[in-house]
Amino acid sequence: MTTAVAPPLLEDTNLGPKAGGFYRHQTIWTGLGFGIFLGFVAWLVSHALLQGSNWGSDMVVTCTMVGWVLGFNIGMGTFNAPIRWMLGHDQTHEDELYAAGVGQGRYRYLKFCTDHKVVGTQYLILVMVLFGVGGTLAMMIRTQLITPHSSFLDPQTYNAIVTIHGMVMIIATIIMVSGPFANFIMPIMIGAKDMAFPRLNAMSFWVVASAVPCLLATFVLGGVNAGWTTYAPLSVQAPPAMDAFAITIIVFVVSVTIAGVNTIVTVVTMRAKGMTMGRLPIFTWGAVIGSALGLYAMPAFLAVMTMMITDRVTGTSFFVPQVGGAAWLYENIFWIMGHPEVYVILIPPVAAVLEIASTFARKPVFGYKVAVAGFVAIAALSIMVWAHHMFTTGWAPNLAAPFMLTTELISIPTGIIFLCTIGTMWKGSIWMRLPMWFVYLFIWNFIIGGVTGIYLSDVPADQFFHGDMFVTAHFHYTLLGGAMIGATAAVCYWFPKVSGRMLNERIGKVAFWMIAIGIQVTYFGMFWEGFQGMARRIAYYNPHYEAANQMATAGAYLLMAGWLVFLYMMISSWRHGKLAPANPWFAKTLEWKVPTPVPLENFLVDPVVTSDPYTWGEDVPDGQGIPESAPEPEPELVPAGQAGTSEPVDGGTV
Amino acid sequence: MAITEAEHGHDDHGHGPAVEGAENPGGEHESAFRRDQKERLLMWLLISGDAFFLVLELFTWFYLRALNTSGLWNGAACSKANPCTDGLGNPITSPITRANPVHGIIISVCAILAAAFIWMAESAAKRDAGRRAVAGAAGLGFLFLLAAIGVQIYQFQVIPFTTIDGAYASTYEFFMGSTLAHLILMAFIGLGLWLRASKGRYDGGTWYRVRIIRFFAVWIAVSTVILVAVGALFY
Repeated sequence: MTTAVAPPLLEDTNLGPKAGGFYRHQTIWTGLGFGIFLGFVAWLVSHALLQGSNWGSDMVVTCTMVGWVLGFNIGMGTFNAPIRWMLGHDQTHEDELYAAGVGQGRYRYLKFCTDHKVVGTQYLILVMVLFGVGGTLAMMIRTQLITPHSSFLDPQTYNAIVTIHGMVMIIATIIMVSGPFANFIMPIMIGAKDMAFPRLNAMSFWVVASAVPCLLATFVLGGVNAGWTTYAPLSVQAPPAMDAFAITIIVFVVSVTIAGVNTIVTVVTMRAKGMTMGRLPIFTWGAVIGSALGLYAMPAFLAVMTMMITDRVTGTSFFVPQVGGAAWLYENIFWIMGHPEVYVILIPPVAAVLEIASTFARKPVFGYKVAVAGFVAIAALSIMVWAHHMFTTGWAPNLAAPFMLTTELISIPTGIIFLCTIGTMWKGSIWMRLPMWFVYLFIWNFIIGGVTGIYLSDVPADQFFHGDMFVTAHFHYTLLGGAMIGATAAVCYWFPKVSGRMLNERIGKVAFWMIAIGIQVTYFGMFWEGFQGMARRIAYYNPHYEAANQMATAGAYLLMAGWLVFLYMMISSWRHGKLAPANPWFAKTLEWKVPTPVPLENFLVDPVVTSDPYTWGEDVPDGQGIPESAPEPEPELVPAGQAGTSEPVDGGTV
Repeated sequence: MAITEAEHGHDDHGHGPAVEGAENPGGEHESAFRRDQKERLLMWLLISGDAFFLVLELFTWFYLRALNTSGLWNGAACSKANPCTDGLGNPITSPITRANPVHGIIISVCAILAAAFIWMAESAAKRDAGRRAVAGAAGLGFLFLLAAIGVQIYQFQVIPFTTIDGAYASTYEFFMGSTLAHLILMAFIGLGLWLRASKGRYDGGTWYRVRIIRFFAVWIAVSTVILVAVGALFY
């Protein structure tokens, strides 16, 4: 890849005293203050006016949550730009620079900041917090299941924890790659200076951040005990916590839709000169296809949760059969969202795995075009398989066979992606660094998750396994063992670019083995439970299942310990790690051609792309492509946390 | 006046001004061509997501209507001898009264007129007809949006059923709520268009930004007509 001379980029750190307008006074603290204030006012008013009416408690909770979300976002400055636009007061260039975080140091991470790298880092931290919460809830579940009649949790609390564990993890996994890396890395990968709509980008983050407290508030509102799928009519009858749950999802959908649209527009319209669609790094394809699929899935989530909340708050009867509704309607719309959503989660990390495999095998992505076609085929087929979640409900038995067929068909493009991954590594000179370790773990886990999924797509087998721990083990192998491990590989791979530091791989390998063994012990234990016939979502069980449960719980503790070691490695490396050079992996894609930390508008000169992203072997002399150890740090490296605020670094080419 | 790549000094891919100093003044340091390209795609993607939401609304209507659980789609099967129950457990002994289609028709006409005036504002801006012409058309569009919102709220007051009266009533009111939410969003944008047009922000060089709004206004009109038609024709 070569460059062309271009105008110098703006990196002004001496902004006027009025630059930024309201943004100057808005931080996470004003967001919290406004959120709590408006939530309280909404509670006060709705309590006074509505509490005595039908569905009064539900209305009060709904109003309070809406008040919190609006207040938080007003306080953060999320709505500043739309309101200024409406009033005809366009932002000045200085305002935009201020909003991009110029001259604000690390403080900008606590503000409405439009720099895509800041937003990506904010997402990364939010995802880690969500995994911390979800993981803690998972450990409570496994602790309860150590013995058949444990008194650690009562059944009501247990069900509430199972529900929120599921939804926290779903939210976290949907944004775990598309949030941090489609924001931080992808624009640089395609040669863009930022995302297409920087303010929408920041908005997507703070909107989803405002949804998280609503979800956690469910615990003090009586708990949602309907499982993460919140099937009707259970969810219609649930305590007012269900209203907070539904508001969480509605707000989350708004955020994911904004973020997804932004990703697609960025890739379609902001590519560097010469970056044709055929030259896009494979991760970019994954991010775009995942976002496009989300654009299909998320309206269904919005529709089903809106109908759910109107059933609860205004007495409509969408899902209540006694008054003309149908629980099948809920299940259909939910799974029209629910199965594509699995691929919204999976496609970006799988694409990241291909990216990493290529870099560390020093080979181009095997079957690049076939892999892209595979992603497209997975996305297309995933919208035609939803009813396999309903084989045992009695809905449209005549459609069981067609849905079984479409579900089994999806294993073909998935298998092709597998072949592409293995083909990329085949006969490569593999450089075994930490990201690559996780790529191997991903392949192992995802094969198990995928193969067990084929059993579940089969109608007769599903009649036996449905609702038991086999299903739980299957989707944990897929989503944790596959998607989350792929995302972990991505974290290890791009950490030097994000933080400016190298990870401590010695600690990382300890974490790796604990995680790898922990996953196998935990979920093989769950498969064992499932084969024995143990049902999901039960707090007490027959002593017959005790050994399998103890195995799963022991594995879960090991797994959690592994994640804690991994977290320690990340934090300690971020603070004290060895300074990272611009391209520690000698990778080929554009994000490794810019300095670390990355300047505000990424490129000191506009890049012009003249070749494919994976030109291994073309310009690296034989035997010199793989250094035996990490290269020495480049001179004048800047510590972590300074990305985007440094003075421009001179340089003519990238 | 069409926006062409050559006019704005772009490379083959429309990426960034090739000429140094060609950026727009103020906060927008990218070209009109790039902005238009981005915003058009954004709008089409948002409309496609919203269209899928509309499809799910229609699916809900026809699914519940076909299923007619407990005879309570519209209560046609309910009688004194065979009473159904509403959402509060009260008996329903006769079919639910059909909603008056006139309100929906008035709302649809207002939404269509609003879209038409916004389209006129776009045309006026495109031919550099002056601030007054653009602002006048945009203002009329905004007024029709307000009228549509007013009629929609009025329909909530006078509709002959409530949300608890079975599936037809629930879905019909859901359609009304969805229409109202879309109209309010469009009114926010319409107000912005009017205020900005009054300040002379739209002319032959920036008309394409009104076009983006027109896309959404037309979509709102189309979706309103579809919901009103289904609600009126498929009792």
